Amino acid sequence: MSAHASAAGGPLLEIRGLHISSPSAPLVRGIDLAVHRGESVGIVGESGSGKSLTCRSALGIVPDPLRVSADRLAFDGQDLLTLSERRWRSVRGSRISAVFQDPASYLNPSLTVGRQLAEVLRIKLGRRRGAARREAVALLDGLGLRDPARVATRYPHELSGGMLQRVLIALAIAEEPDLLIADEPTTALDATVQAEVLDVIADLRRERGLALLFVSHDLAVVAQVCERVLVMRHGVVVEEGRTADVLAAPRHPYTRALLDAHDEYGLDRLRAHVPSAREVVHV
Amino acid sequence: MSVFRSPSVLRSPSSWAAAGILAVVAVLAVFGPLLAPHDPLAQNTAALLQGPSAEHWLGTDALGRDVFSRLLAGSPVSVAAALLSVAVGLVLGVVPGLLSVYLGRPFEWLSLRLMDTLIALPFLVFAIAMTALLGNGVIQAMVAVGILISPAFFRVTRAAALSVARSPYVEAATLVGASTPWIVRRHVWRHVLPAVAVTTASVTGASLVIVSSLTFLGIGVVPPDPTWGGLLATDLQYLYQRPWGPFAPALLIVATVWALNALADALRDAQTAEAGRDAAADDPSSGAPSPDAGSAGDPLFPVPDPQVPDREVVR
Amino acid sequence: MTTTAVAAPPASAPAPVRGRGRAGDASARILRVLGRGLSALGRTALIAVPVFFFATLITFGLGAASGLSPAASLSGDEATPERIAAINAELGLDQPLYVQYATWIGNVLRGDLGVSWYNGFPVSQLIAERLAITASIAGLALVIALVLGVSLGLLAVVFRGRIVDRAITAFATAISTLPPFVVSIGLIVVLSVWLKLLPSAGYVPFAQDPGLWFTLILMPAIALSLDPAAELARQLRTGLVVVLDQNYIVGARVRGLSPARILWVHALRNGAGPAVAILGMKIPTLLGGAVVTETIFSMPGFGMLAADSALRGDVPVVQGTLVVAVVLVLAFSLVVNVVLEALQPASRRGARAE
Repeated sequence: MSAHASAAGGPLLEIRGLHISSPSAPLVRGIDLAVHRGESVGIVGESGSGKSLTCRSALGIVPDPLRVSADRLAFDGQDLLTLSERRWRSVRGSRISAVFQDPASYLNPSLTVGRQLAEVLRIKLGRRRGAARREAVALLDGLGLRDPARVATRYPHELSGGMLQRVLIALAIAEEPDLLIADEPTTALDATVQAEVLDVIADLRRERGLALLFVSHDLAVVAQVCERVLVMRHGVVVEEGRTADVLAAPRHPYTRALLDAHDEYGLDRLRAHVPSAREVVHV
Repeated sequence: MSVFRSPSVLRSPSSWAAAGILAVVAVLAVFGPLLAPHDPLAQNTAALLQGPSAEHWLGTDALGRDVFSRLLAGSPVSVAAALLSVAVGLVLGVVPGLLSVYLGRPFEWLSLRLMDTLIALPFLVFAIAMTALLGNGVIQAMVAVGILISPAFFRVTRAAALSVARSPYVEAATLVGASTPWIVRRHVWRHVLPAVAVTTASVTGASLVIVSSLTFLGIGVVPPDPTWGGLLATDLQYLYQRPWGPFAPALLIVATVWALNALADALRDAQTAEAGRDAAADDPSSGAPSPDAGSAGDPLFPVPDPQVPDREVVR
Repeated sequence: MTTTAVAAPPASAPAPVRGRGRAGDASARILRVLGRGLSALGRTALIAVPVFFFATLITFGLGAASGLSPAASLSGDEATPERIAAINAELGLDQPLYVQYATWIGNVLRGDLGVSWYNGFPVSQLIAERLAITASIAGLALVIALVLGVSLGLLAVVFRGRIVDRAITAFATAISTLPPFVVSIGLIVVLSVWLKLLPSAGYVPFAQDPGLWFTLILMPAIALSLDPAAELARQLRTGLVVVLDQNYIVGARVRGLSPARILWVHALRNGAGPAVAILGMKIPTLLGGAVVTETIFSMPGFGMLAADSALRGDVPVVQGTLVVAVVLVLAFSLVVNVVLEALQPASRRGARAE
């Protein structure tokens, strides 16, 4: 279970009226989003829909030329909009964590993965050197990596995509955060490995009561993992609701188009692909 | 070259300043001795070590000679020596650079190791040694410097040629049966030429400094013929009496080098911009040639990461 | 080579290995690090050896091409053709060229660089004496370049895009344009002639008078240090700017690590590569550029020895200085490569700053 005391009711992550814009154009236009303790919420959308930026705002890492504003952006009751960099450091990793697409690029190529894991344990949890090393191996073991001691001595370029994503997940849960943000974590992985990683995430949720904000362009993956789903397009939420409801009875034409295209793709995967007018969704 | 029509080149003030300086230097190089108000060799014991005056714009030296005239008279030699050594270096570098890509492994290895050797040799010491031991003349000096700067041209040419040779476009052309000379003429040249132009500009600056250093040390030139470096040497001797003395030749050298470097930067910027435009247009493989491509076989003198541009430009 | 051998195949996990305990872990790590260092050493040596031999060939060729011999000056008044031939035979100068080369290179490899034609002293002794002087100047220049270059480079990165950054970059570019001899003369004019702060010529050994030694080598060291400092600052800045854009920096931020730690542990490790490489290349330039600086400051150093000997036609000394200089360059190159390997083990696979 999460090591942090729960706030009295209310969502863990609360976003209301989020606006993110570049000097030339608005990118996210009025998003409302809430993730409750232990809940798993998905955001579906194509690239450019603003889903990744939304996640970044919850971590305070929106790149500089862009401006962020919101009616409310809070975590466990604490306002995030006015947080100083220094205070952010006690939120990132400790309370809100993230894993991203292309795990290899998110690891320092010149340090072994064990060392990078131990670093977090030493710096943020105050472990001593030897204990940190051992705990790092234990974490890797807990994520299903075979021969974790050896993996810990490897450099990122020596490991496969699936293994690297597990390493990133290990880094993300090392401090037992309350919320894990997963931005397209399986998109760059092979199909079989995808399933494994999703299982790992599901197990973590069960064991630790971890809340999950899962972002993907792939409706099928989100459907597998999330209780609630938001559909984003061009910076706004076009549909929202319980996953089962949205999938069974989509209200917005865009959602319907997504579903149709996905069904067709799914069905035709083994046959010759016949383009149709509804494919227009894939820009 | 269309480079000069590129907007960034035309718009920035430093480009105009650089062009201006180079124009002045060119005039000095060609017409220097003719413009000198006094005979650069004429000594005048009545007027030794004087400061600037109406008669002698930059004063006189220890033998009463007009410094301004000497500066002008020394221009052709200094500039010509720099240019000619660059020419030597260019030929000795570009040709092997191209050949190393197309003549097979053994030649590639040999040329790489020879270039490594040239880089390993201490530049000035070797130039002095070669010049002095082979007769101590201007020609020897220019050839020596030319040989020692050829690796710069070699690297750039090789990198440009490699980046093209490995591109899918050229591979396709080869499969269809295009011969190597044809490929070189059609594709490689287009990439090699701009890169070599940039290198030429910056190397000329370096070469001017080297030649000035050599003449400063009295290598490769016979006194009393004036050279920019030689003037600095005499200035040094009488520094306590004429502390302002070194200013003029030093300024001339520094300004020329700066202008050449600015020219190199402008060429490089324009080339990168053009390559970006080209990439969209026809050849998907054409991009600014990475300076490190091909140096993978050269761990002795690693070239900085290709993502790191050689010189930063501040506008 | 441990790292290359155990690269895990993409689809499968590595075979399980029984736990080795802490001591076993530590010694395994040391072995791996050693292995990497040795492989870097080996790879560079493979290139360095042929380069060394080519350099000796060129050096020897230069001497042979000069056609010089001490015979004329040694025999003086008795310079008859027979006397000259006798002296040449004594010195082995009548042998075929390849024999001369073989003898010479054989001696060089044993540390015997021959004897000066000018004053009869062993070349190695002459060089050793002078090298100390040049080394102290170059050493101080290196320290200054490091301090100046690294601080300016870091400042430029931390404040990138702002005025500090632009100013530093402009300054660095301007400095690189200045040839060392211009800087030297400028320093003398300002510090010796006008301000009368520092002496402008001569050298005393450190043992004799440390204070004076320092004041004497300070200006030449500064003059030599400016170009490497500027290059260092620029390469460090550019290398770090590229790295700071990378995803793993975002990854480190997301884990809540401090900016200082991110800079020192993650960014520098990957971004310092170009700067280290440039520094390695500049160190031999400190030797080569020293010629002019030594002349200006009247320092009897290695560079001056080479220049004077060349002008005197003292071939053995010239050859000796060239060989020593090349060996130093190659040695530094080896060191740089080992350091780079230690910093960035992934660099060989081209996975450096990606």
